[in-house]
Amino acid sequence: MYYSPPVWEHHYMETQFVKCPVCKTKISVSGNPGEKVNITCPNCHEKGFFIIPGGRTEEGSVELRAIVVQGLTKCYNSFKAVDTLSFSVKKGEIFGFLGPNGAGKTTTIKAILDLIHADEGTITINDIDVRTQGKEARKYVGYMPEKVAFYDNLTALQNLRFYAEIKHASTEECSTLIEEFGLGDVGKKKVGAFSKGMVQRLGMARAVLGSPPIMILDEPSGGLDPRGVVLVRDKILDMKKKGVSIFVSSHILSEIQEICDRVGIINKGILVAQDTVDQLGKKLKLKPQITVTVQTMSSAIENAVKKVPKVDHVKVVGNTLEIVCDATAKASVILAVSSAGGNILNLQMKEPSLEEVFMRYTEA
Amino acid sequence: MSMKIDTVTSIAKKEIMDNIRNKWIILVSIMFAILTLVVSYFGSLMSHGWQNLGVTISGMTFLVTLLISIIGFMLGYAAIIGEIESGSMSALLSLTATRFEIAMGKFLGLGSVLCFTVLAGFGAAGIVIGLNVSNVDYLQYLGFIGMTMVFGLVFLSVALFFSTVFSKRSTALGGTIFLWFLFIIILPIVFVGLLATAINLLNIAQESIPTWYYVLELFNPVSVYSALIGITIGPVSSMTGEGNVPYPSWYSPGLLLGVLVVWILLFFILASWRFNQKDV
Repeated sequence: MYYSPPVWEHHYMETQFVKCPVCKTKISVSGNPGEKVNITCPNCHEKGFFIIPGGRTEEGSVELRAIVVQGLTKCYNSFKAVDTLSFSVKKGEIFGFLGPNGAGKTTTIKAILDLIHADEGTITINDIDVRTQGKEARKYVGYMPEKVAFYDNLTALQNLRFYAEIKHASTEECSTLIEEFGLGDVGKKKVGAFSKGMVQRLGMARAVLGSPPIMILDEPSGGLDPRGVVLVRDKILDMKKKGVSIFVSSHILSEIQEICDRVGIINKGILVAQDTVDQLGKKLKLKPQITVTVQTMSSAIENAVKKVPKVDHVKVVGNTLEIVCDATAKASVILAVSSAGGNILNLQMKEPSLEEVFMRYTEA
Repeated sequence: MSMKIDTVTSIAKKEIMDNIRNKWIILVSIMFAILTLVVSYFGSLMSHGWQNLGVTISGMTFLVTLLISIIGFMLGYAAIIGEIESGSMSALLSLTATRFEIAMGKFLGLGSVLCFTVLAGFGAAGIVIGLNVSNVDYLQYLGFIGMTMVFGLVFLSVALFFSTVFSKRSTALGGTIFLWFLFIIILPIVFVGLLATAINLLNIAQESIPTWYYVLELFNPVSVYSALIGITIGPVSSMTGEGNVPYPSWYSPGLLLGVLVVWILLFFILASWRFNQKDV
């Protein structure tokens, strides 16, 4: 995003906060998406430039952003839960937000919704400042919190109708949603008697009330049975088809990898990466893993594979070789195994997973 | 500060519905009715059987101050923090409701619950007493019910504020319990103790009570309510000793009611302000 020379240290990707490469002073840069802004460090007077994130799409139009977080900082006493966090969610995309426990995911989500007051930074939803026009901004958002809770003494239908009234959505929609989320049989029962999974489904129904154009989902699959997980995932994909922008935080990395267009990884309050899973893998230079099963394993086969250029790692498990290598080395590996007398029974190639990307970005 | 009335109404309606469904209203109303009937029938040492409403009110004012303050506190102490702890507040705040609308809706909803229980409980008992005694002053009794509602709303408002101050439901409960002791026991003792330094309490009838004592009393809603009932309905005996201390001429019903309303407004404003600052 930042073009040298001189090479400024880009503090975080797609951010409007940069660090001076010389004196490390944090500098805020303002401009339109895609705009090249000249910068002079106020401290050491080093000069450079920065391209404001967002840029232009391949079609040339300025990318529209559903959520923009710039320089978000939130402290709890002396603990910095989120530190100068900057990212954006494009309109119509599914953005996965990942991080270990306590990384600052929920704090970020709460700040986006103005449930907690940020110490620094700005957040906009559909270009509306959340801090100054929170009520207006939240009109566009459906939210499912990590800890889904309802009024236990009210029925599922009464609960949804209450939220529909507050949201100024149609109360007629409530019965349909209750059916849609598989709660038709218990719609008139008190929520206090519901299982965690049922409450979670009702939470999803509440989030989609009024068909908001932006969804913020904090661990939407937590506590759901496999059927529920599929239901929620399908609902998310269905919403994406309808052009809804979705910001989803989850621990289920395989699910995130499957549904998300881009991911952001937060660790210890800092956004350490933000891109597509493929791009993140490439940036980390993660290599695919080839698994070769042979009829009879021998040390000759193992040694032959180890000698193949661009092979990083070889592990033998029974009759199977687990090889980490460049994708381009695949043919050479097969040839080496065959030449060493290996009769290949099975061959599989696995691309770097989000799990690997996540582990690499969040390791201490 | 713009406020959407329909949002406030929806929140208030939800609070009422929630309390109806957990049978709270019914139980407390029945308790009030039984209390009133018991005090009316058995409460007088002077005579047997049903007493008229004026005597009944005088007989149970102290009990009412104890109960209504507890009920106001119980209704309000978890109104905000309880929802924050359970997680339902974050969902509510993610919608288009503002914090002021939520606080207002909760206050109005819980206030309605409190007023309804007072009206239903005391009202039902009043009808029973009215059927058994002659020369009933229903207007006076309605006045008593109204003043009791205002008194209850003071404690609801204070509890709502406490609900925004603490970060745990349990500490909010502890805080309100302390406050209850403060208003019911500690402040009256402190005030009388201060009075004892100025006059001879054993000869109070002949002593002139200093004005500052009456001013101090205005800082305790329990004393204000007792004085209000004492002035408008009749002598009231309570632990605070007001039964023995004559009220000054400047203690008017308007002033005392005004003080209670100030208590309600002040703590509601504080609750809204604090809630606005709070991280959910």
